Amino acid sequence: MIVYISRRLLSAVVTVLLASVIVFAAVQLLPGDVATQVLGQDATPDAVAALREQMGLNRPAVLRFLDWITGAVRGDFGVSLVSGEPVSATLWLHLRNTMLIAVATIAVAVTSSIVLGVVAGLYRDRWPDTVISTLTLIGMSVPEFVVATLLVLALSITVPVLPAVVLDEASAPVADLLPAIVLPTIALSVVMTAYIVRMTRTSVIDVMESEFVTTARLKGLGTGRVVVRHALPSALLPTLNVIAMNVAWLVGGVAVVENVFNYPGVGRMLLEAVHNRDLPVLQAIAVVSAAVYVLCNLAADLGAMALNPRLRTGERSAR
Amino acid sequence: MPRSPGAEGAPPRIPRRTALLGGAGALGAAVLLPGCAASGPQAAPALPEAAATGATADGGVLRMARPPASQAETLDPASSLSAYEYLGALYSRLVRMDAEGQTAPDLATEWESDDAGLVWTFRLRDGVRFHDGRGFTSADAAYTLRRIVDPGLASPQGTVLGPLIDPGRVHTPEPGVLVVELTTPNFEFPALLTNYHCYVVPDGDGDTIGATGIGTGPFRLDSFSPGGRGRIVAYDDHWEGPPALDAIEMFSMTDIQARTNALLAGQVDLISQTNLDFATARVVEASERATIARSVNAQWYVLPMLTTAEPFTDARVRRAMKLAYDPGHVIDVALQGTGVPGNDNPVPPDTPYWTDYAVERDPDRARALLAEAGHEGLSLELYTSAYDPVFTPMALAYRDSAAEAGIDITVRNTSADSYYTQIWMQKPLMATYWYTGRPADQLLNQVFRSGSSYNETAWSDGAFDDLLDAARATADEDRRRTLYQDAQRMVVDEGGAMTPMFADRLVGLSRDVLNYHESGFEFDYLNIGLRP
Repeated sequence: MIVYISRRLLSAVVTVLLASVIVFAAVQLLPGDVATQVLGQDATPDAVAALREQMGLNRPAVLRFLDWITGAVRGDFGVSLVSGEPVSATLWLHLRNTMLIAVATIAVAVTSSIVLGVVAGLYRDRWPDTVISTLTLIGMSVPEFVVATLLVLALSITVPVLPAVVLDEASAPVADLLPAIVLPTIALSVVMTAYIVRMTRTSVIDVMESEFVTTARLKGLGTGRVVVRHALPSALLPTLNVIAMNVAWLVGGVAVVENVFNYPGVGRMLLEAVHNRDLPVLQAIAVVSAAVYVLCNLAADLGAMALNPRLRTGERSAR
Repeated sequence: MPRSPGAEGAPPRIPRRTALLGGAGALGAAVLLPGCAASGPQAAPALPEAAATGATADGGVLRMARPPASQAETLDPASSLSAYEYLGALYSRLVRMDAEGQTAPDLATEWESDDAGLVWTFRLRDGVRFHDGRGFTSADAAYTLRRIVDPGLASPQGTVLGPLIDPGRVHTPEPGVLVVELTTPNFEFPALLTNYHCYVVPDGDGDTIGATGIGTGPFRLDSFSPGGRGRIVAYDDHWEGPPALDAIEMFSMTDIQARTNALLAGQVDLISQTNLDFATARVVEASERATIARSVNAQWYVLPMLTTAEPFTDARVRRAMKLAYDPGHVIDVALQGTGVPGNDNPVPPDTPYWTDYAVERDPDRARALLAEAGHEGLSLELYTSAYDPVFTPMALAYRDSAAEAGIDITVRNTSADSYYTQIWMQKPLMATYWYTGRPADQLLNQVFRSGSSYNETAWSDGAFDDLLDAARATADEDRRRTLYQDAQRMVVDEGGAMTPMFADRLVGLSRDVLNYHESGFEFDYLNIGLRP
């Protein structure tokens, strides 16, 4: 078990490292650099040269990467090429804001989707299932930015109860941001719920048809008890992985949604950094996102092992 | 100097994805908003031209959504990274441009040159104070000019004024008098100082001005964070009297749809430096809270032909390309009528030096010219992007129109994100635009003169350059006008830029905003206010 976890952690570190190399290389391949991007049409040769000099862009890419990585290992992500601010401080603020949305979304999406999934599975092919399945299909097919737009239309413009965009900056106190996270959370939850509901439904159907559930029924247990005590733990196993994947997806999904709501989170920071070719910021976000991705998957696998004795013992006997 | 102030530092800012989002938002809103659903775009009423005017409430706070230049933006007016919306509110120039395009007094009350156009004397306004209480004198004006031409600062206007001003020959004989000895004669010199990089900063404040924003304008700085939000408050000691508003709050929003949503939801009152696409503009116009005002002839659209690239090295091909298309068709398709024909002349209609010279469309003659040049059945690629909503419709309309002259155009859509680094001045034929607001002399010298870093067609014609030099050195105003008009004729007949049209900018603003007026780079911060 310990060996397994340390092996996974080691591969996680390698993955994160590779991600940073790939992002660095990808940005080098993008047309333009931070100087030309920031100056735009004013990128006269003199202006570009002056700005490049000022930003230290004239050194070879490999050297700049080595500089960055030695700093990053010590937890120093450097300073933004554009704003000159330390990346770590800015990133943590934005990460905090994104976590607000992410945690709320996970809470809302996971709870509601498991309930809906179980209902759909239990009422297979009857009207509750039809309604839930149709809605989730729609939720899956509509991109999150369209959902976001429709929500703004309904809840900010037609009936103005919630703000359409966030006017606060990244450093705003959490309390100020709370009204602003409602719409992004709903928008992301709609999409996320759709996937988890379908997974839960399928596995609930599978489990309800299995022999041990039939046995439980034959013992004369009530439906409620059968579902909660016997069926659910098994049914949730495959769902765990889907949830983990979705949490990782959130890291990317927030980028578009945050932009629509002008929400000062990692997603918006990422888009701006890509646009400006602001490498230190991009690298830091890449590392953090990769880490989140890898850790989510690791947590899901460990969670599955904890829930499933067969997996645990299987692992042990294989050693 | 840039084509757009807002876009100057922050060019696209609107990656393709977001432009799509904007479209999707407009679509959603168009379906749901009452009044719009039934009529559709065709039947929708014409977009209003001017903003509402009238007596404003005493005070009030205007909330403005703006596209941020970047996290590197600064309040330093001379910088290429300046935060445009703040400049006109915080600072004053020596001279400004009035509604007719004439140079008008601001901090300078009058000016004159010697007979050669070499030595310019500006008399400065008395009793003007900076926001921190310092009195404005010629030392501040001289410092500002010397700073703009400092190569270390790389100010966009430095490329224009640098060849004219020797920092050692800017004199301050009296606190109220500034004397500038130019290195070459120039009777258009004051007009060049209307530029928005020429706002006057206090003597010696160069290192701090980017953060302090100390000027003599109608508002003083309360707070500012680069690429973030900021607040400016009324400066009661402003020499023209205090502004109508108490304060303006600025909010940076990268995404066009976010800016539009904020306006529709009543979170902001005005969207600055944003040309709304027609679908969005109609949704805004149909809403209860917000409406549209037009900044008339705010931009001119160009299809620049790179004269150093085949086949545009041949003047006959360039002429054929211009004769081939119908500007009326391009305006109908791309602007839905919210603009006027450019006749391939970039000087805005009805400005002082404009000429109405135009060449009638003639596809047959175009065909003949192409045959003569050995380019029968010419096949070309025309590059466009979602950077601006008009580019692609303009390119398609041109393609359809030019087909009648046997020119086969393929329109290629490219990424908005790197459009101005990879396509502009790189591809032989593309779609672009500039903001109007430069005086004719600056425009012609900057965009068309040989070797200028903004010469997007790389056109180089010694006779044209000589004409501009002669105009600058001509004291007689009528004679000077004739020379500038001759120069425009050369641009139309020989140059590489096709200028199909001047377009109005569609500005979204709340119905509560009164006296919004913006033309070129002049924004009336003094009189804009809110409905009582």
